[in-house]
Amino acid sequence: MKLFKNRTFLLFLPAGIFLIIPFYGFIHAVIQSLGGEGLAHYEEILNSERFLSSMWFSIRTAGIATIVSIILGLGFTKWFHPLLTKTSPRLMVWIPMLFPHFVWGYMVILILSETGWTAQAFIAAGWLEDTSNFPVWTRDPQGIGIIITYVWKEIPLVILLLLPVYASIHPEYYALVDSLGGNAWHRFTTVDLPNLLPVLVESFLIIFSFTLAAYEVPALIGTTFPEMISVLGYEWFYGSSWEDRPLAFAAMVLTSLFLLVLTLMSYYGLSRPKWRAMRSDRP
Amino acid sequence: MIRKKVLFLILTLLFFIIPLTVLLLQSISAPWRFHTGQGIDWGWQEYSTLFQNPQLWEATFISIGIGFAVLFINVAIGLFTGKALTPYAYRGKAWLEALLLSPILIPSLAIAMGLHLFMIRVGLADTIWGVMLIHLVPTVPYSIKIFHNSYQQIGKAMMEQPHILGAGFWTQVFTVELPLLRPAIRSVTFLTIVISLSQYAITAIIGGGRVLTLPLVFFPFLNNANTSIMAAFSIWFALIPVFMYIIIEALMMFLPYSRLPWRNHR
Repeated sequence: MKLFKNRTFLLFLPAGIFLIIPFYGFIHAVIQSLGGEGLAHYEEILNSERFLSSMWFSIRTAGIATIVSIILGLGFTKWFHPLLTKTSPRLMVWIPMLFPHFVWGYMVILILSETGWTAQAFIAAGWLEDTSNFPVWTRDPQGIGIIITYVWKEIPLVILLLLPVYASIHPEYYALVDSLGGNAWHRFTTVDLPNLLPVLVESFLIIFSFTLAAYEVPALIGTTFPEMISVLGYEWFYGSSWEDRPLAFAAMVLTSLFLLVLTLMSYYGLSRPKWRAMRSDRP
Repeated sequence: MIRKKVLFLILTLLFFIIPLTVLLLQSISAPWRFHTGQGIDWGWQEYSTLFQNPQLWEATFISIGIGFAVLFINVAIGLFTGKALTPYAYRGKAWLEALLLSPILIPSLAIAMGLHLFMIRVGLADTIWGVMLIHLVPTVPYSIKIFHNSYQQIGKAMMEQPHILGAGFWTQVFTVELPLLRPAIRSVTFLTIVISLSQYAITAIIGGGRVLTLPLVFFPFLNNANTSIMAAFSIWFALIPVFMYIIIEALMMFLPYSRLPWRNHR
């Protein structure tokens, strides 16, 4: 038994070595954000209007994109999961996953910009007089383009993550709820939700942390004001003045800390006995 | 059920199939100006313009090289860790899984910025090796997850049997586990390569602009190039994962118990 345990330890070795890379990087980001001057840089960015508005804009945009893609992905999976057991419908749904995010962002520009395909098609059909009448959905100050790109790109991911859960729910449970006089809402809250919850929370964390801090899509389809935190950080990192660099580190470290607290809270929430009991988890 | 099917078809057509088709059409025709009343000029000149760019080929080869290296390391780490996580339930397993997932929850931009000085110091900055290392950060956690799920599906009994029959560690991996892990390897191939092709910011930081991958060619082009060339470039981005997938699929035929298409089978 002791030998067995040692073997397991050896198997964890590659992952352990890998984990050094992100943690070393993160710790050094923290060290360079302090820059030997204590919390001065943090004070500076927390007093900067530009940082605060960017942070708020990022959380708002990433939050909307994440929640919308999870709700739509959940609805899609719940409604269509019997159809998705076959290969070809699944492949159709996963088309966006074949493209990198910024390529899909470019596609959104092609489709929805003021001179894009939709606007041109509407004019050709006579529904729109001029391209200037088409709403501004890309490179807009509201972040609509960013949200559309992320929602479109993440729905297939949500479906991918939720599909195995729906495939594993026994239909007898629905029959049980029915025979006890429950309606569709009860079926969802007492059968689906306890099974889905861990995956939903995990999907939320994965998508939210990605959309909050990814650089490519906002750089492509966003504006310069308000800008996402990643764009601001990248600009500070490569900016004209060398003195902005610690600010870039401080901004990214604050974003990371925010995400870490969010993760800890949700893991703590998920391990509450109530949810464990409903999932009938083995300890 | 039929109504559901129709609705499903309408939704997938509208949101997934039609955009891809239009992108394909755009890539084989000149930029569209419907309001001028012109028709569409078909032709392959967009692709030939694209392929005449020497940077494109260089970037494609570098991206594919990085992609394969990242994929190989991902499969190795994912396989071992997935195997190690599966057999026992123990206290703190949820936290261990969270720890292994955490690299994708920390912004990769923060990690790349933090590693930049270190990479300069050890001479990995501006090299293809440094870029490979940083591309592991957003990919490995997914691979561990996928392999972990697959091992759970294979089940404990399937793992104990070869052990009882006296197979050594590597025999067991090659004759029992890898053939059963084929679906996991497929998913990991797609995910790692698409994620590796998606990284602009961290490649630019660690590669210092010297390691020319496809996003580094694509990104600066976006605002000025004509839409048809960019559409062709976008299609190129999707063809690379497909190409690499075919190679991996071919390699997997050499695994034991594979059905070979040139052999007769029942």
